[in-house]
Amino acid sequence: MSEEEITGRSAREDILGRLKEIPKTVVEPRPDMPPLRELSLDREQMITTFIEKLTLEEGIVYRVQDGREAIARLTEIVVGEGLQKVMVSTDDVVASLDLPAWGKEQGIAVLTPRDSGDRDSFRDAVFDEVEAGITGADYAVAESGTLVIVHDADQPRLISLAPIMHIALVSVERIVPTYERAIEELYGDTKNIPSHVTFITGPSMTADIKGKPFKGMHGPRRLMVILIG
Amino acid sequence: MEIRTTLFNEIAEKEIRNPYARAFLKAMPAAIAARRKTVMGSFPDPDAAQACGQAIRAEVVAWLPELLEEFEKNALARGAKILWARDAGEANEMVLAIAKERNVTYVTKGKSMVTEEIGLNDALAESGIEPFETDLGEFIAQQLKRPPFHIVGPAINVPVEEVCDLFMEKAGMEKPTTDPVELGYAARLFLRDKFHHVALGVTGVNMAVAETGTIINLENEGNIRFNKSSPRTQVSIMSLEKVVPTMEDAMHLTRLLSRNCTGQAISAYVSMDSGPKKPGEIDGPEELFIIIVDNGRSEIYADSVAREALRCIRCGGCLNICPVYAKIGGYPYGWAYSGPMGQVLTPLLLGLDRTQDLYRACTLCGSCREVCPAGVDHPSMFLYYRSKDVEEDRGLRGKKRPWKESRFFDLWSRAVTHSALWNLGFRLARPLVNRYSHSGVITRMGGYFEGWFRTRNLPAIAKETFHERWKRLRRETAPGGQNGRKGKP
Repeated sequence: MSEEEITGRSAREDILGRLKEIPKTVVEPRPDMPPLRELSLDREQMITTFIEKLTLEEGIVYRVQDGREAIARLTEIVVGEGLQKVMVSTDDVVASLDLPAWGKEQGIAVLTPRDSGDRDSFRDAVFDEVEAGITGADYAVAESGTLVIVHDADQPRLISLAPIMHIALVSVERIVPTYERAIEELYGDTKNIPSHVTFITGPSMTADIKGKPFKGMHGPRRLMVILIG
Repeated sequence: MEIRTTLFNEIAEKEIRNPYARAFLKAMPAAIAARRKTVMGSFPDPDAAQACGQAIRAEVVAWLPELLEEFEKNALARGAKILWARDAGEANEMVLAIAKERNVTYVTKGKSMVTEEIGLNDALAESGIEPFETDLGEFIAQQLKRPPFHIVGPAINVPVEEVCDLFMEKAGMEKPTTDPVELGYAARLFLRDKFHHVALGVTGVNMAVAETGTIINLENEGNIRFNKSSPRTQVSIMSLEKVVPTMEDAMHLTRLLSRNCTGQAISAYVSMDSGPKKPGEIDGPEELFIIIVDNGRSEIYADSVAREALRCIRCGGCLNICPVYAKIGGYPYGWAYSGPMGQVLTPLLLGLDRTQDLYRACTLCGSCREVCPAGVDHPSMFLYYRSKDVEEDRGLRGKKRPWKESRFFDLWSRAVTHSALWNLGFRLARPLVNRYSHSGVITRMGGYFEGWFRTRNLPAIAKETFHERWKRLRRETAPGGQNGRKGKP
């Protein structure tokens, strides 16, 4: 295949040419839509709604006062589940808790992506070695109990996906009523758009066999959220 | 995928007797439709929210070339590679070229209707590259070589025993089971290994945002996220009309798509790519290819009525509400798109001549139009296709009906629009028609009209029609035996 064929430049001209030949039609102005109810909630109401909605999707939400309590909660989870090895991201929320040091105290192996030199060894770790992924989240959206995670060098995509359990930490400061509030901040400055953003609302799920719903199809079977503040 | 649209009636008759399919069709679509209704209630004004989605899609259709150019410009600026394919063959060649250049032996795939449309799996397999569908239902449908039964649950009708046999044979499952959850985990284990080592992931696209050059996927299982996170190379394939103007529009459509598709407020995962991974990121694609597939759409665009089909966002809301789909399921539609959505799209993509039963298998009840978040007017589209078919429209590849049928309808339309002809026709037809009458009801008639009576009866034509009686009474009651004209105001 030539470069021309691979990029489909001539196809592009054909397709756009045909589309542009057609005279423009008048489009009706958009109808008004009343603002979403969540926009009138105060912070505590947003938090309550977030917890309610995510719980409905079988996410488990713990609310704690501060970082110290977050660590205590994390310890309880790790002990309760008998976890031996976890992968943690290095984003701001998690980094501030110094989980590698906590891991040493607790006697569990805490890996970070930096321990893996490259994609392949990182994949080996998240697919086969660790029992849970611990990450921060950038926003918590009240309207549907949704976590928004912005991926970058400190927040790889697979930590919140490949291990069978995902534990996410998010500050109540980061609660927003609707998706748009998070999106405006993330995509408002077109010079600096993140390469990948994920919305997570509950564990991975399916109902593809006989319509029987269950969690943990390809992604985590369990999602726990520690809401700080 | 084999195209079987000309076998609509044949397959429908078979499927209507399939007990497994019937069990699901009785429960599932109605359950999703009910959930949809509940969750639509989270909007302060559900109708307004729906109307807003429809308006966004109307804009997309009106400004399609401009939005595509803007999307391309912004996606390129983020580092994505944009490829344009005129048809299925070109699109498949592009994926093959990318795969071969990188020496991959297999690819993993997220569920994507457009890749079914272009037959990508067959093209890959023929070139010795094994495609693995990774959506659970799609994986089962692919392994069984069946078309999707439902857009959301492509294999939801397949009996567990059959899934069990399949997984024992093809997915390395060791112990037989008929528990859907255990079967699901067997597929998880099998596909997890594929995700772990995959070099090339293929996905569809739910929305391509012009303003930012971002592509968005909605899913529940996490398989699409794996396809966008694990491999070095990501190929995302979209048909022209997937573009939307802004991120804000995409968020509103995300709400509507989730609600109309599965009755969820939002699907478990929504993932958004703006270009490939940035330097320093350890996972995510080093190269992101976005293939924009035309496959006949730019020609459809010239037809101002047919163009409206491009509003469709493939939520499947229309399947769950359709009384015809609820009886026959997805197989009779014979291709990638089933239900009213398929009846609208397939005739345009394959031609009216090969899909004649699709746009006729409709009672025009309009339930699909009522739930459509994109504003597709299905019944009007079907009437349009029927007329274009009869007219032998060249662009849409209409095929004339049998000459006897067209002759009959020519006469019929003349008769019903001219009262003198109609009355005369009635008088002439009465003795012929009433020969079949038993106690005033005609239950069957031989010859050309046989089919009409399969599900209907016709009352015999009265000895004296209302019209005739009216005339007679007027004559008899008019003073001085004059005709009734005097009584007329």
